[in-house]
Amino acid sequence: MTTDLSIPAVLSMYALLLLPLAAMFHLQLGVVRDTLVAVARMTIQLLLVGLYLKYIFQLNNALVSLLWVAGMMVVANFSILKNAGLERRLFFWRSLAGVAASTLLVSAWFILVAIRPDPPYDARYMVPIVGMVLGNCLRSNVLSLERFYSGIRRNENEFTTYLLLGADLHEAVRPYLRDALRAAVNPTIATMATMGIVSLPGMMTGQILGGSMPATAIKYQIGIMLCIFTSMVVAALANIRLSLPVAFDDHQRLRPGIFIS
Amino acid sequence: MIAFNDITLAVAGKTLLENASLHVAGGQKVVVRGASGCGKSSLLMSAAGALPLAAGTICVEGQALGRCTVAAIRARIAYIGQEPVMGADTVRDALLLPFSFKAHRGNRPDEERIAGILERLHLPDRILGQSTKRISGGEKQRIAVARALLLGKTIFLADEVSAALDPQSRAAVMQELFAPGITLLSVSHDPAWIDACDRRIDILDQRLVEAP
Repeated sequence: MTTDLSIPAVLSMYALLLLPLAAMFHLQLGVVRDTLVAVARMTIQLLLVGLYLKYIFQLNNALVSLLWVAGMMVVANFSILKNAGLERRLFFWRSLAGVAASTLLVSAWFILVAIRPDPPYDARYMVPIVGMVLGNCLRSNVLSLERFYSGIRRNENEFTTYLLLGADLHEAVRPYLRDALRAAVNPTIATMATMGIVSLPGMMTGQILGGSMPATAIKYQIGIMLCIFTSMVVAALANIRLSLPVAFDDHQRLRPGIFIS
Repeated sequence: MIAFNDITLAVAGKTLLENASLHVAGGQKVVVRGASGCGKSSLLMSAAGALPLAAGTICVEGQALGRCTVAAIRARIAYIGQEPVMGADTVRDALLLPFSFKAHRGNRPDEERIAGILERLHLPDRILGQSTKRISGGEKQRIAVARALLLGKTIFLADEVSAALDPQSRAAVMQELFAPGITLLSVSHDPAWIDACDRRIDILDQRLVEAP
């Protein structure tokens, strides 16, 4: 079993923050307040999640777990559209469909094909795995959607030229789609390439600290990384594709109203 | 051939044209003139469906520009702007770019045809291998014209095409765009270009006015 951390031990960890806060204050970065708010939010959110998860794991009810997962997806979707600078009222359902389809597909594959828990909807597997996949999807979707639409807006003359040279909408957006997907997957490719050498991933470390054998932890880590990578690519691609009909008008011109004003 | 029927055109909240009409017949060469920012370039862009109309309609060869027809109309029109976008790293790839699209995939030109068009526009063969980042504005405009000719376009929307050209290159471009089978709607301040056109249209007080 993992050695539990006492309350004073956890509090002592906050002392570490004095170093970056002092540096930020000295360099007048203007992010000290934001950092303190973010740390406070993280603490409160994790404490609440800890409480919720305890009950969700005890209940181990498929419907409750799915509702929890659905809630996570809705919140993630709000965050994706806000950070990508896109109008929520236009993209919400399409973006949610893209994120949900890709996240559920790969998570279900990992849980039902690879892990095969009993019962299959075991909350101890479903909630953390979907959460990890979703968290990474969120990052990749923000990057890909933001890069895609800002790329077209910045290069409107070039984009229009493609259309005038006979490209259909899918052909005209392809260069920006490529850029967006590269931006979304490059950090994960770099992470996978150095994993185990430069970094020991969180899931594996957590399992080892939780008492799992390193071999088991490594197998789970490989599985989750493959899930994350697959869902990132599928979600980014699906989200961009699903957003096209609302982002462009009937002459394939980018609607100016899609961006948050 | 190209008909602007009572169009109202506004860009960034500014009305450039209001209830303006212009009919360009097949084979005609028309030049649009006017003060800077009065809507000359926007008029050309609107004919290619690149700018939305606040009111009115645009018809090309009898087809009203709309959701179902925009692709077919763009396939017949060549738009050459003041700073043409090459869309590829080398000149050869820029010339062949439209032939990578489904609409033109079966019509990829052979080397002989490319060389012939380059020669007509006074562009050397060796330019094909050059980076599009290293060629001049005048060369870019001629490459854009060459690309449109390779596509077999017969309706040209040309925005200040001769502005960056030396007299010899300008003559070569004019020879192509003023050919009998070409319908040309252009914007120019170049006296030689204006003189060569059949009709001169001025933009005055948000209207299109035929000049003598």
